[in-house]
Amino acid sequence: MKKIKPVPLASIVVALFLLISSLYYLLIQSEEIPLVPFWMGGLLVCTVLISASALALNRNADDRTRVVWTRGRFLPLAADLVYFLAVFLLVFSGRIRPDLEFEFLGLSAVFTYDLVLPFLVLLASFLVIKDSINLLYGYSTRGREVLVFSMVRLSAVFTLLLLGGIISIILYKGIGAISWEFLTQPHFRLGQEGGISTCIEGSFWLVMGAMLISAPLGVGAAIYLNEYSKRTGLKRIVTIAVGCLNGVPSVVYGLFGLAFLVATFGISLLSGSIILGLMNLPTIILTSQEALKSVPNSLREGSVALGATKWQTVWKVVIPSALPGVLTGMIIGVARAAGETAPIMWTAVTFSATPVHMFYGVIPDVTQPVNNLCYHLLNLIYFLGAWDVETKAWGTALVLLALVLIINMVAILVRNHYRKKISW
Amino acid sequence: MGPPAKRGVLRSRRYGDGFVEALLFFAAITSILVMVLIFYFLTYESFLAFRDVGVFDMIFGQKWHPAGDIFGMMPIIVGSVLITFIALFINILVGIPLAIYLSELAGPWSREFLKPAIELLAGVPSIVYGFLGVLILVVYLEKSFDMLTGRSILAGSILLGIMFIPALTTICEDALRAVPKEFKEGSLALGATHWQTVRRVTLPAASSGIIAAVILNVGRVIGETMAALLVVGNVARIPSPIFDAFDRGAIFTSVIAGEMGEVAHGSMHYHALFAVGFVLLVIVTILNISADLIRAAIQKKFGGY
Repeated sequence: MKKIKPVPLASIVVALFLLISSLYYLLIQSEEIPLVPFWMGGLLVCTVLISASALALNRNADDRTRVVWTRGRFLPLAADLVYFLAVFLLVFSGRIRPDLEFEFLGLSAVFTYDLVLPFLVLLASFLVIKDSINLLYGYSTRGREVLVFSMVRLSAVFTLLLLGGIISIILYKGIGAISWEFLTQPHFRLGQEGGISTCIEGSFWLVMGAMLISAPLGVGAAIYLNEYSKRTGLKRIVTIAVGCLNGVPSVVYGLFGLAFLVATFGISLLSGSIILGLMNLPTIILTSQEALKSVPNSLREGSVALGATKWQTVWKVVIPSALPGVLTGMIIGVARAAGETAPIMWTAVTFSATPVHMFYGVIPDVTQPVNNLCYHLLNLIYFLGAWDVETKAWGTALVLLALVLIINMVAILVRNHYRKKISW
Repeated sequence: MGPPAKRGVLRSRRYGDGFVEALLFFAAITSILVMVLIFYFLTYESFLAFRDVGVFDMIFGQKWHPAGDIFGMMPIIVGSVLITFIALFINILVGIPLAIYLSELAGPWSREFLKPAIELLAGVPSIVYGFLGVLILVVYLEKSFDMLTGRSILAGSILLGIMFIPALTTICEDALRAVPKEFKEGSLALGATHWQTVRRVTLPAASSGIIAAVILNVGRVIGETMAALLVVGNVARIPSPIFDAFDRGAIFTSVIAGEMGEVAHGSMHYHALFAVGFVLLVIVTILNISADLIRAAIQKKFGGY
């Protein structure tokens, strides 16, 4: 075993080079790939190294009684080697040339050289790594574990890259559009000029209205379900209804609002707030219920033993102890409401909305339509091909993303802070 | 549950308590009320379309052609099924390994870092995904597959698959964590490796939770609107061949969101769009209830994990 260790390790190193370079060319889709000779060489080297270590493994195992090359191990390895040679021969014989184009099965896609070759090499590099790790550990269960867990770790890396990628590309492209004027002026000329002040205003009031509706109803429902209800039947039905509401697609809420509210209130801030509030209801009920459940019964019993009524117990003892959890749920609700587009598309927003008219400077006029960050971004996306709005769109996306992520981050911080502080 | 109410409290307090309880009761039944109202309004508005076109023709009709008053949902259903399958494939491919990593492998430090990252990822608004999809994914697909337009079922699937990774991971991780420690310890004590334990003990024990999570995610994928609307292409026609994911397509939500803006209130098209919404609502509700039932059945069987 120990003698052959450097050989599979060497093939893993070669395979990593193949993996990274082919992934790079797969992503940038360049017409010319100067690395092809190196790839072919790398494939040949890997084929030789893997065959050599397979033979060595076989010889090492001779003195033991167990059989190393069962069919389940040998066939995949042989298939992989055939695959490497096939890729090599296809390129070498000129079947895969830069002018390669083929369609198959009637799919409406054309597979070209700059896609096919890097993909084949990428696949090959994965297979090389798989075989090498198996050979490195002599096809033991330990080798399989290392293999699977490295794939599992890859998924974590992928997720972090995804988040980092989304944030950094929007930050990079959008930061140029951000200025004081962009944040404080309304847009004009179909969003080509001006800023997004009306959208920020509209988003703010929509979210406020939504929370005004969903917070009391949601927390109240959670308190009733957790503290009062004795009939398990009702509780079960409400739980199912909350689960269903949680899953109702946002566009269906939009249809519901269109049929139910627009007829009465028109396209207005009020309709949008009600719809967003109802949509947020399940989130708040579920998180508040979690928070209430985590309050230990001994606190309630202590309070009742002191002569407090049920409501006094709930108000003075249970709610204060559950407050951090309830608060976290509400903040997440705010973030969700700020990021939703579909429910308010036909109920609350218009692209050309004027700034919100205020009574006494504090109370917004709820009967007029508003603009909203999400809806503004949607319209800018529609205008992309026709007008020069791309910078503004990136800027709007940046403001929206920053807003939502910061609110979410606050929720996470609040929760972590109190989780450390409170221990029953 | 709280302890039973004490007798002999002051009468006024008791009336106050009764009033508060009534208010809370109303808050609790609001969600039932909203659910009923949603069903009522969608049935009411789509009734005309179902009556005029016929339920069977509406659902199994091969053509969706609003200008000619032809409303058949088959193209939409085929598009939705295709998108759901490909998106779920991507979703499961990353989401479940990630859940395994979080519950089994991650050290305290990487967990502390990765958990908030996943929560933040779950918070990214769908319109932002749609925006990035239009400017990056669609352009990339167009270039690499030489397509007429990159807006395709494939683009929608990739975007939706990636979008709902956090949702799947969160529920799966809870399910994996709920598996009693004794199970794993028993397996490890028998000499199994960590991966053998995960595969033969933890995953099977958590399988029902994972299945429930996947079912919930099917509902989410079918119901996602903005991202899908922007990248699927919104051409409601059955792709030929039927598995051609590189073709433009349409799904329930994209049809509704894409066409509702420009229809006359009360026209046949308007009612037909409500009918699409009604079918979508029924599908998603069935999925949600079955996920809920699965979870309840498991709790009954295994006593709470």
